[in-house]
Amino acid sequence: MPASLVAAASFAYLFLLFAIAWGADRLADRGRSVIATPYVYALSLGVFCTTWTFYGSVGRASTLGIGFLPVYLGPTLVMTLGYLVIAKILRIAKRQRSTSIADFIAARYGKSQLLGGMVAAIAVFGVTPYIALQLKAVSISFDLLAGTDPTGLGTGPHAAILGDKAFYVALLMAAFAIVFGTRSIDAAEHHQGMVAAVAFESVVKLLSFLAVGIMVVWGIHDGFGDLFERTASSPAVARLLTAEPALGDGSWITVTLLSMAAIVCLPRQFQLMIVENVRESHLRRALWLFPLYMLLINLFVLPVAVAGLMLFPAGSVDPDMFVLALPLSQGWKALALFAFVGGLSAATSMIIVETVALSTMVSNDLVIPALLRLNLLKLDRHPDLTRLLLTIRRTAILTILLMGYGYFRFAGSAYALGAIGLISFAAVAQFAPALIGGIFWSGGTRRGALSGLIAGISAWTYTLLLPSFARSGWLDPGFLSDGPGGMELLRPYALFGLQGLDPLSHALFWSMALNVGLYVAVSLFDRPSIGERVQANAFVDVFRMTERATAASSSWRGSTTVGELIALVGRFLGPQRAEQAFAGLARGGSVDLRRDRQATAELVRFGERLMAGAIGAASARVALASAVRGGEVTMPELLRMLDETSQVLEYSRQLEQKSAELERTSVALRAANEKLLELDRLKDDFLSTVTHELRTPLTSIRAFAEILHDNPDIEPDQAREFLHLIIKESERLTRLINQVLDMAKIEAGEIDWNIETVDLGEILREATATTAQVFKDKGIALEAHIPDTVPPVRGDHDRLTQVAMNLLSNAAKFTPGGSGRVVVRVEHVSDVEHVGDGVKVTVSDNGPGITPKDAEIVFDKFRQVGNTMTDKPQGTGLGLAICKRIVEHLGGRIWVESSLGHGATFAFVIPADSTISSPATAPNGAYLPANADD
Amino acid sequence: MTGRRDRPPRGDRLIALFLLALVLFNPPLLQAFGAPGFLFGWPALMLYIFGVWLAVIALLALAVERQPPDERSADEGQG
Repeated sequence: MPASLVAAASFAYLFLLFAIAWGADRLADRGRSVIATPYVYALSLGVFCTTWTFYGSVGRASTLGIGFLPVYLGPTLVMTLGYLVIAKILRIAKRQRSTSIADFIAARYGKSQLLGGMVAAIAVFGVTPYIALQLKAVSISFDLLAGTDPTGLGTGPHAAILGDKAFYVALLMAAFAIVFGTRSIDAAEHHQGMVAAVAFESVVKLLSFLAVGIMVVWGIHDGFGDLFERTASSPAVARLLTAEPALGDGSWITVTLLSMAAIVCLPRQFQLMIVENVRESHLRRALWLFPLYMLLINLFVLPVAVAGLMLFPAGSVDPDMFVLALPLSQGWKALALFAFVGGLSAATSMIIVETVALSTMVSNDLVIPALLRLNLLKLDRHPDLTRLLLTIRRTAILTILLMGYGYFRFAGSAYALGAIGLISFAAVAQFAPALIGGIFWSGGTRRGALSGLIAGISAWTYTLLLPSFARSGWLDPGFLSDGPGGMELLRPYALFGLQGLDPLSHALFWSMALNVGLYVAVSLFDRPSIGERVQANAFVDVFRMTERATAASSSWRGSTTVGELIALVGRFLGPQRAEQAFAGLARGGSVDLRRDRQATAELVRFGERLMAGAIGAASARVALASAVRGGEVTMPELLRMLDETSQVLEYSRQLEQKSAELERTSVALRAANEKLLELDRLKDDFLSTVTHELRTPLTSIRAFAEILHDNPDIEPDQAREFLHLIIKESERLTRLINQVLDMAKIEAGEIDWNIETVDLGEILREATATTAQVFKDKGIALEAHIPDTVPPVRGDHDRLTQVAMNLLSNAAKFTPGGSGRVVVRVEHVSDVEHVGDGVKVTVSDNGPGITPKDAEIVFDKFRQVGNTMTDKPQGTGLGLAICKRIVEHLGGRIWVESSLGHGATFAFVIPADSTISSPATAPNGAYLPANADD
Repeated sequence: MTGRRDRPPRGDRLIALFLLALVLFNPPLLQAFGAPGFLFGWPALMLYIFGVWLAVIALLALAVERQPPDERSADEGQG
């Protein structure tokens, strides 16, 4: 394929990227964001898959089998914990307006410039060679496709710089990063165009790799079955399909751990996952879409590696370039070009994002703090520093890319470049303890993080970076085999005699042991400043704090004027933007923006946050400190503020308690109200029934009276009969009213109980005597079995008589004349349910009886057994209800035993008077008063 | 879109899934499935590692996307 065609395709593709980014930015300016969806967000995370994935995975797979996978399984593991870790980082970064991982870590540890600078330096140092690796991949794949180096084993760049494609790619990438990565001075704002382009590139590289994979499996071979069957003929290839090469290498777990750290700590991942995140809720879908993306792009890695190994004689083609070499070997030029574009996508997306992320760090955490420190910015003389800031950032981009290119020129084919992928991972993994510890452990301190980071990166340099230099021939190889100066104990691959681990695991062990160990140990014995402690809590407790409370964590004792503050912010953001921002705040509330006023603490904080978005948290603090007289709050002031806060907390705790109490009370009130409503309903029922019962006798009285009145010549006999009826009905009426009154009195508890020791036998004898005539008139036989001595009971004589009379007249009413027979019995009983020892009175008849169902309700008010619609009511319906209340008031029990057709037995028991010593021997009628004063 | 929908999923499920993935993705089980041999024409190891990877992703999707029923109805109202 002619080189010119490949070059034209590459540049056409890169200009397409410019167009996409430009379009996305234009849309964003008009208020429509193409990146505000979880899908673009998830795809942009695919920047994790660089050429190291696109070309390198196949290379790794052809020696390690599935050993290339831990790089992607690690991030998958992190995603399962995404809601506990990444979501928290996201929330904190938004509150703090973090612009990079260096800024984030610096802000956590008291906005430490030193820490931020160190993180930025390590990131640049550790990741720039990684950019070189991308350029190398572009260069080699270009040469392979153009036919200048069909083996892909290229020995580095051979053309002059001006004739080198990689140089132009680097320059174009710098241009892209400058145009779309530094549009706005506010680095915390989203780079819409850049993210859109990166997401697009993720799609291209996935489709491209899948296309190659599918063609290799179904084009060259006859599907997976055929491909894998053929491996049987080659033991070396068949071995790749087992776990042996992957696990034999010994680095499986190490690489998993490293990639877990890398997915959060790599500057480009932090940039896209945290800084460019538009909405926190997008994380939800990205958490599983991103691992799915990684799975898909890795699906064909092993088949491609296996197919390449079987097709090409050993050593004729670099396995790293199988993705290109396989389609070319079959003459599929279009597919090869597509594969090349896929690789170009993987390279450029990584380069763009990494450069933007690194340049933000360099400018905000290295250059600006230095300028502020050295007082080179001359804050008082320059009203607008935005141009300077942007220039710094753009220069940083260009410098980083040229550094990457320089490294590629210098070390193009060295071991150090090929191994840089994992070495980079190990470098940025050193941020993990300070980062993860910082968001979950408020005890981690600045000095702890600093010492951990320094120790970790030193161990990394000694056990990983320097050996890679030695293997590249830049250092004496004896350094590896004999240790520096022949000291065996310090051999970098077997430090202090630690042997048996592969170099990567060895380095990870030492660097992490020192890093975590010092971070924890120093933090435990450290006493952080108040400002640092406040900032630590703002991170660790981010979900428990409101935005305002988090903002309050950085407090300034304002002694500057509003005008000065706006001017200061304007220097970094541009005067116009600063004016707009403050005006926006003023619109929201009652903020006084008159220039000569003292700036309130809230305003100063707002200004700091604005500046933090542009120059990073640490620099913003320094800039503000130089302008706000009095500087940060002092210890006593802070303690007073803390005190106020705890008072507010206490107050809110009390409020919570109060509201819980109120809730309990309202539940009780609701219950009471329901009970009242029920009682009200019962009362209404009662009233309507009583009125009905009263109307019946009244109607008859009135009817008879009208007859007598309207017919003066009525027969005297007839008249007497009518008068008799009127009298009877009146009596019934009177009885009814009396009973209603009784009932009401009992229920209201207004009745005067005359409680004394009474003899139930005597009462029953009197009652039977009184009613004997009624029974005789009706022709009913009345038998009374009343013993001479009955144990005395405590009760009201009159009321008990009322009960006895009621039961007797009931019996008289319902027992048929002639054959009727009523038996009254009084006896001493013990062990009666609910009552115990007592006197039982039974009144049995042989009338029609009542059903068991009626037996339950017969004691209710106005419940007359039988059909009330057809039968003439024979009672008031209150008698038994009154009996029940009287008996129960006296502690006794009343019930009825009956079955239809076999008569009914009404019985009640009144408990015996336990204060009487020997009731059985008490002579008839001679009672021993319980208490003389009773 | 704010409020209930942003409520994080259950942490204990996610941690359990993390531990499960940790066991599935690491040597003892890989060793067990890593012997030479084919299943449905695929190397057993490849089938295993991509199978469990996909399963972990599916479980993760279930855990983070599924909401309690009462919250779902509230969300539907918001379109």
